[in-house]
Amino acid sequence: MLIRQISVFLENEKGKFAEIARLLGNNNINMKAFTVSETQDFGIARIIVEREQIERAFNLIKANSYAVTMTHVVYLECAHKPGAMAEAMEKLAAAGISVEYMYAFADSSSEFSHVIIRPDNTELANQIISEL
Amino acid sequence: MIWNKKIECMSRDEMHALQSEKLKKIVAHAYNNSPFYKKRFDEHGVRPEDIHSIDDIVKLPFTVKQDLRDNYPFGMMCVPMTQILRLHASSGTTGKPIVVGYVQKDLDNWSEAVARCLTAYGLGSDDLVQIAYGYGLFTGGLGAHDGVTRIGGTVIPTSSGNTQKQLQLMQDFGATAVACTPSYALYMAEEIRKQGLDINNFKLKVGIFGAEPWTNAMRKELEDKLHIKAYDIYGLTEISGPGVGGECECQNGTHLWEDLYYPEIIDPVTLQPVEHGQKGELVFTTLDKWGMPMIRYRTRDLTYLNYDKCDCGRTAVRMGKILGRSDDMMIIRGVNVFPSQIESILLEFPEYEPYFLIEVDRVNNTDTFDIQVEVKPEFYTDQINELVRLRQRLTSRIQSVVGIQPAIKIVQPGTIERSTGKAKRAIDHRKFE
Repeated sequence: MLIRQISVFLENEKGKFAEIARLLGNNNINMKAFTVSETQDFGIARIIVEREQIERAFNLIKANSYAVTMTHVVYLECAHKPGAMAEAMEKLAAAGISVEYMYAFADSSSEFSHVIIRPDNTELANQIISEL
Repeated sequence: MIWNKKIECMSRDEMHALQSEKLKKIVAHAYNNSPFYKKRFDEHGVRPEDIHSIDDIVKLPFTVKQDLRDNYPFGMMCVPMTQILRLHASSGTTGKPIVVGYVQKDLDNWSEAVARCLTAYGLGSDDLVQIAYGYGLFTGGLGAHDGVTRIGGTVIPTSSGNTQKQLQLMQDFGATAVACTPSYALYMAEEIRKQGLDINNFKLKVGIFGAEPWTNAMRKELEDKLHIKAYDIYGLTEISGPGVGGECECQNGTHLWEDLYYPEIIDPVTLQPVEHGQKGELVFTTLDKWGMPMIRYRTRDLTYLNYDKCDCGRTAVRMGKILGRSDDMMIIRGVNVFPSQIESILLEFPEYEPYFLIEVDRVNNTDTFDIQVEVKPEFYTDQINELVRLRQRLTSRIQSVVGIQPAIKIVQPGTIERSTGKAKRAIDHRKFE
């Protein structure tokens, strides 16, 4: 499934992620998942929120002078069993797809782990994932 | 010791007469042999016949750095190229250097000027002078070299860099003086300590430091660490190179050799001469330089002049510390950097906003060169590698144009001050007091 993700450019300084988290929190927007990648002097926070809140979250962050982009990423429900992830990744590799980055989160109440994948070919990757 | 007592200790009246004679000749030479100066003087409505004494210099138009760029490479020469014996060049703002040319007499006068400095530092034919200024197009190396030869001293032409070898030769040869930038001297002092060398095994007594601004605090540090007396040597490529002036044993101002390089101080806004002793922009006229005379060349250096006789016996005018620049040029790691260069480079990149903030500091005796930039909103991406690549492209481009590598910091949109015109585009945290 394709879902939308918000990416925010952050200077690598104390309290920067707190600013974003506070901004969303004060506006009653819950982060379902996020990851932060960093270099020495800047980082990028990638955030998933509820589908019906994403436009509002995006506009809110943008209005507060942050560099923010919205991208489509592939969402994979990966079964809680050994080898499930390997199978998905092998299929992507076989189709010649490179993964730019990915992150995963699990919740014990579900039989699936949730994996977010940013491939170089989003459409094709989504097709492969949905056929799993 | 005084190298040329007649000139260096001349009465003000005699100096005035000498300068007046020289000015008349050099103005006529420039007017008659340079299409550039002829046109400039004609536009200004002044002719060589209007110059009767040095006081008439205020009738003449100014020359600026841009004139040298516009006439690159040889358009400022006032003699046929067959008479030019040497060319030097310094880095320019757009990659195009400025070029200067010397006839034999110019080289002789230049080494005379450096000889006066070296003698004032107490150096003579017994001394071994290690020249750790770069040799090449830069005037520092060869300028100092010719001066040492002129006083009959021994030249150790190591040029800059390869510090370990420098220190070994300095120690083995028993160099009594070293000529380099003050920051490189501090670096050498640090290396001596790191390598566990004993400064008492060195024979250094004098440091000849210039090509960048430095403070009395640096002087004290250099003198303490290297067991030397540290002296300033002032100069600029356009006027001839190092040796336009130098300190004496009193270390109370830099004597300018005003029979060769006539100094004025002007208000950089009104362009009118200021009262004696007031601060303003330093302007030089080369009174005895024939290959490429400079008439009222605006240095952009801000300072003041002191015409009182010095305790050393010299009457030669003394220049105070350089207090800053009337344009926005900065000297970073010995390289001239203009914020306008950074602006024009940013404009080459569609991905970057044209706003930036340069911050310069000095950490462990090395200049830092940080530039904050913003990426245009549409060019932000969720992929960190693309931003890193974008930053690397800018770093490389600036390094190739400016000559030194900046640390680029991408900041959030809207962080950098927008107001055009008076926007603060550079902050220099270095302390030159």
